Amino acid sequence: MLPVKVLIADTVHPNDPGRIVEADLMAAGATAIVRLGAGELLADAVLREAPDLVIVDMARPDRDGLEDIRAISRHDPRPIVMFVDQDDPAFMEAAIEAGVSSYNVVGASLPVLKPVVQAAVAMFRRYRQVETSLHKAETSLREREVVDQAKALLMRQRGMAEPDAYRWLRRQAMEQSRKLAAVAADIVAAAEQKKGGGS
Amino acid sequence: MTVSRPVRMGLLRLTDSAPVIHAQTAGLFAAEGLDVTLSVEPSWANLADKLSYGLLDAAVMLPPLVLAMALGLRPAAARLIIPMSLSQHGDAVTLSNELAEPILAGGRPDDAEAGRRLATLLRARAQANGPRVTLAVVHAWSTHALLFKRWLHAAGIDPQADVDWAIVPPADSVAAIESGRIDGFCAGAPWGAVAAAAGVGRTVALSSDIMPGHPEKCLAVREAWAEEQPEALQGLLRALLRSAKDCADPANTPAIAATLAQPTFLNLPPDIIAASLPGGAREGVGQDTDVCRFAIPEATRPTLAQARWLLDQMARWRDLPVSAAEADTLATRIYRPDLYEAAQAVSISPY
Repeated sequence: MLPVKVLIADTVHPNDPGRIVEADLMAAGATAIVRLGAGELLADAVLREAPDLVIVDMARPDRDGLEDIRAISRHDPRPIVMFVDQDDPAFMEAAIEAGVSSYNVVGASLPVLKPVVQAAVAMFRRYRQVETSLHKAETSLREREVVDQAKALLMRQRGMAEPDAYRWLRRQAMEQSRKLAAVAADIVAAAEQKKGGGS
Repeated sequence: MTVSRPVRMGLLRLTDSAPVIHAQTAGLFAAEGLDVTLSVEPSWANLADKLSYGLLDAAVMLPPLVLAMALGLRPAAARLIIPMSLSQHGDAVTLSNELAEPILAGGRPDDAEAGRRLATLLRARAQANGPRVTLAVVHAWSTHALLFKRWLHAAGIDPQADVDWAIVPPADSVAAIESGRIDGFCAGAPWGAVAAAAGVGRTVALSSDIMPGHPEKCLAVREAWAEEQPEALQGLLRALLRSAKDCADPANTPAIAATLAQPTFLNLPPDIIAASLPGGAREGVGQDTDVCRFAIPEATRPTLAQARWLLDQMARWRDLPVSAAEADTLATRIYRPDLYEAAQAVSISPY
């Protein structure tokens, strides 16, 4: 089961105890919960905590800070934003119908809260799985490329045959307890440095 | 004319919400047979979401945000139109006392000189390996962001490389400057004056100087609502034209400031609001706020030139996922001077 870290930003006023009950979220599938500190800006907390799910009260004016979170940092937490608002049950329905990654949870009423959080968590999991396999595919493609480059360099510079170049890389990797691709990347980087320094 | 259900309009706590608030409180909407409900929202994101989900029919909006929504640059894409602009000017660049004092020494210089002085301060900081400066705007897709970056760039400061950016709501900017989390912000009136009154910063440049005549807020309307209720939309525009005429007249400033000051609207001192309404003088509290402009037709006619300028400025600082030709098509779909002109033609008095 993938971990789902939830950031709750449901209090607008310092004396407001908040409406979301942490136990409800854990029951709904969250594995870690962080609450926004008093006086802390939502965007700062999102960047620091990199949560998988953000539950935010619509009444918070700093919600605007989430709109551009990707632009203000290279870090990309991909939060799913949920809105909490006691006054606006219609908002949640409309948001869910619109099929966007934004929902409105009304109050702390568990029957409403639970399925919405579950839906968000399930959606997040699907998203994360697709993203993880995509990332893996991209990484293995990049790794193969760099290993091929390093082999070509070894063949050219040391006159090795291709199987020997590969075996040499593998031995280096085993001796240094590192990944084959990391050793290959070092060789490619060193060759590029030499080329850059000589010109 | 009868309209079956109330027209739901959204706005934020800003001086340039005046045309909508005055139209409501002075009965100008009612005179057009319209039942309008106003909703004062805490954030631009709320206005955008509620327009997207059909929970608001119209709102006082940032035109770059309307364009960004149409381009799908925020989660809930929406089809909106802009049948009227609402204001020009009204934004202020407010810096922490530490940065503002050397810039304002000997009285406030013009905006270009103020920018050069800031550039000198930033260079000195960089040479001394001092902390980087963090500047804030109210929304990523705001006129404030475009104007702030334009001013910095003109002063030789690279807005992408030389400073860090934060998104901070105007009401939180006072606390954010005080705590040192940000070193300055650009926000709409009267928030520069609010920060100055709290003693946490001073205004060094006004948007009417940075770009005289720049478009500020607009009326954004859901395209589907406009198509379903063309008569209601025309009534809305006529009422807002009358309201803009009232708001543009300095003689009405004390009364309009008193209305805006009410707890249900801006909930701020009326003198601070009055300083940012027409006739507001650049002295006392007025030194730290720009004056909003509601003139007809310059500030109210939604022109394609405005749309093109905004898209051009947006593309200058960010990647837009459209070609120049596509942007032009988009601008033509969203900006609707034809609807504005139809309302103006049948308005009871010549503007």
